[in-house]
Amino acid sequence: MSDHTSTGDGHAPGELDMGHHHVSSPAMFLSVLLALLFLTFITVVVAQFDFGSANMLIAMGIASIKASLVIAFFMHLKYDTAINKLVFMSSFLFLSLLFIFTLGDLFTRRLDHELHTTKSPVDLEWSHPSTLDGDH
Amino acid sequence: MSHDDHHGVMIPAPGPEFVAHEVAHHFSTPVQEFQAGKLGFWLFLATEILLFGGLFAAYFYFHEVFPETFRVGGQQLDWRLGALNTSVLLLSSWTMAMGVRSAQTSQKSKTMIYLVLTVLGALGFMVIKFIEYSAKNEHGLIVFSELFSGYDEVTGQVAWFKDYHGVMKDVAHGHMFFAIYLTMTAIHGLHVIIGAIAIIYVLYGTSKGRYHAGYYLPVDLAGLYWHLVDLIWIFLFPLLYLVP
Amino acid sequence: MTTNTPAVDVQTTQPKAPRENYLNCTTSFKSWALTLDHKRIGLMYLIGTSLAFLAGGVFALLVRLHLWEPEGMLFSNPTYNQIFTLHGAFMVFLFVIPAIPGSLGNIVMPLMVGAKDVALPKLNLLSFYLWVIGAVMAVAAIVMGGFDTGWTFYAPYSLYTDQAVVTIGLAIFVLGFSSIFTGLNFIVTVHKLRAPGMTWFRMPLFVWAIYATAILQVLATPVLGITVLLVAFERLYNVGIFDPRLGGDPVLFEHFFWFYSHPAVYIMVLPAFGIISELVTVHSRKPLFGYKLIAFSSIAIAIISFLVWGHHMFTSGQSTYAMFAFSFLTFFVAIPTAIKEFSWVATVWKGSVALNSPMLYTLAFLIIFAIGGLTGVILGALNVDLHLHDTYFVVAHFHYVMMGSIALAFFAGLHHWWPKMFGIMYNEFQAKIACALIFIGFNATFLPQFVMGSRGMPRRYATYVPEYADYHKASTIGAMILGTGVALMVFYLVASLFIRKKAKQNQWGGVTLDWMCPTPPPHLNFDEEPQVVHEVYDYTTLDYETLQRDCD
Repeated sequence: MSDHTSTGDGHAPGELDMGHHHVSSPAMFLSVLLALLFLTFITVVVAQFDFGSANMLIAMGIASIKASLVIAFFMHLKYDTAINKLVFMSSFLFLSLLFIFTLGDLFTRRLDHELHTTKSPVDLEWSHPSTLDGDH
Repeated sequence: MSHDDHHGVMIPAPGPEFVAHEVAHHFSTPVQEFQAGKLGFWLFLATEILLFGGLFAAYFYFHEVFPETFRVGGQQLDWRLGALNTSVLLLSSWTMAMGVRSAQTSQKSKTMIYLVLTVLGALGFMVIKFIEYSAKNEHGLIVFSELFSGYDEVTGQVAWFKDYHGVMKDVAHGHMFFAIYLTMTAIHGLHVIIGAIAIIYVLYGTSKGRYHAGYYLPVDLAGLYWHLVDLIWIFLFPLLYLVP
Repeated sequence: MTTNTPAVDVQTTQPKAPRENYLNCTTSFKSWALTLDHKRIGLMYLIGTSLAFLAGGVFALLVRLHLWEPEGMLFSNPTYNQIFTLHGAFMVFLFVIPAIPGSLGNIVMPLMVGAKDVALPKLNLLSFYLWVIGAVMAVAAIVMGGFDTGWTFYAPYSLYTDQAVVTIGLAIFVLGFSSIFTGLNFIVTVHKLRAPGMTWFRMPLFVWAIYATAILQVLATPVLGITVLLVAFERLYNVGIFDPRLGGDPVLFEHFFWFYSHPAVYIMVLPAFGIISELVTVHSRKPLFGYKLIAFSSIAIAIISFLVWGHHMFTSGQSTYAMFAFSFLTFFVAIPTAIKEFSWVATVWKGSVALNSPMLYTLAFLIIFAIGGLTGVILGALNVDLHLHDTYFVVAHFHYVMMGSIALAFFAGLHHWWPKMFGIMYNEFQAKIACALIFIGFNATFLPQFVMGSRGMPRRYATYVPEYADYHKASTIGAMILGTGVALMVFYLVASLFIRKKAKQNQWGGVTLDWMCPTPPPHLNFDEEPQVVHEVYDYTTLDYETLQRDCD
């Protein structure tokens, strides 16, 4: 185990390379901040107009761009390891499953109503009680 | 053999104002320790996304069921205060990112200044949130003194919501928007407070010289947590204040 | 770090001196209560979850005794509701979910990958104490008047009942974070702490199973956390999300609950699969048939399990289209699961099978899980489930998986690694008797429940019509036999701690790293960092000397 100590000694301060220590420039951070504030301004301005059902899409689209900037640059995920990217992105993937199935259920309950009024099993000849009787 | 006999690798301090860091005994290298900490924290952040995700799913669900309630309810929120709070959080996210950068480059006093600014941002956010909550309290939209007073089983009217015949009189279940608003912002606010405590903790460690180019993992993790708080607000702001 | 070398010298020069291991290296109470050693934390989990299992078992026996008579023998109807709720809640949240990862996973998994500890030892200790806090809160909820919602806490009843739902809800929130932190820790350990040469496809399948479990723990449990929090908020300040009187939708509760609780079924069963994968190869002394298939099937099950939760809700009022989708997707889970079952059987086939007690438990698992799994496919079919929903058929199905498969795999693993953990052997004869009793008792309990369920006996009823009396009586007698078997098992396992019959260094002839380190393992597991050069389950590398030599 003593060889590990030398591994540590090999890292002189200032020249540490621990795999992915990306130090971003202040100019980059500043431009990300300005972009975020600008997008906040945009989303507020856009909200003053009514685009109907597109309102939600526009607002979520802008929010997603802002979120991507925060994740990629402030949280350094752009420069992080592949596994860390996979972990964080998979949380959104699995969250989308919750959204898709839960909201999918809600949206299709309306269609359900049509399904039952137009295609109720008793209306279909193959399952009509009289045909069933005929089988016996 | 006592457990203390096992010493880890030492990361030397880059200067007299810093202290050296000892890598935990079960890691072979500093890289391994750093990467294990980061992976663990990203996994934790993933759980936070899914925890809030449940609330967002509930929001979209009832936004679909009661569109009018959400539209009128959203108009009762002050988007100016919401936009101000968004800006405050974005600024504090920037100071946090700069704080982590200063720790990465062993600039102790700069790190401390940026971390203090971030905590001030958290404080500012909570003050503005408090002002908003007070306004809702005044208008009878969320009456905090009656928060736990139950509801009328016949009319389905909750005690903490007094506006069934005011601005929300034309919509179904008017309290619903404010219940979701309160729950989402309160849980988010709790995360702001936890984040602030985490930053104060690394601020203390920074003052002791524990974090420098060789070892800044705790600052990095506190930063990630703070950015997550920002991330969630980025979605909360348009959903609660603008879209409805 | 230099102290390891003298320890080896002591062993070679003075063979009689007891070797220092994780059990005896320190003895103070504090050194246990604040330990960061994964093996000690695992042992504490083992004690805690076993106590929860025994408590849940007592509740189960009370339920079965009550149902001896059609009008109920022991309790008033409200008390009966509380007893079966306690049985379910204790078994699911305090035993089945944490037991295998918390105890055997904690003890064995770091050994198997050749690590000195889990990646985040303090978090590991925290997750154990969160489990303890959750358990204390669950007991507190009983003291505060109990809860009668069933372990599923369905809204709206859980919102209206006057019982201690908030306390048990918060207990489950805390237990959820205990589970999340365990899973998180294991993922990081597998990724970052594998010994040199331990490639992904040299990892034992128990590690693969624990890894797949951990993915589920991390990704699914937070949604349960927010769900029980929302139930608590409903009761505290009437959010209205789940409460139909306030405009809410109870079906949304079911969506949230099963988004977690269906994957949770695999949080429970995947570690059991992992144990069985290990045991069939060691006790058949034959490399696993289809190693990669089993490894990938664990991951496949983990991912597919997120797509099928609606099959618990076929009578809830969700849309017909959602039911089509959920029923269709459910059948896909059967594919990776069947791959496992076939691979295990093919591993035993023409192997050099030793009928040791862990192997007997394993064979019992293979039979019971085949039934439990296939009846799951039956229930996944939408039209059949409409008839069988909320009947004893469902009860029997999930007990074939929860108790007959998971608990039996846990017992198998416990018997398999007991000599590793303590360096002592239990009484093999008594172990075989107990295994037979448990196998017979289990089937006697739950086979009749399939029959009465298919004939319409609804679950969770305190009383029933006399037509079902014979089935219930058979089931209760079976439960008594099962209880006797478990009691015998507890007896000889505890007795072995006092008799202290020395185990062998490598009791069963395993070739994975957990059998390469000293028995019982020292504080840091390996005297020197292991270098993995062989493929996994390569029995040509087995050192027969270690099978004969008493452990240190």
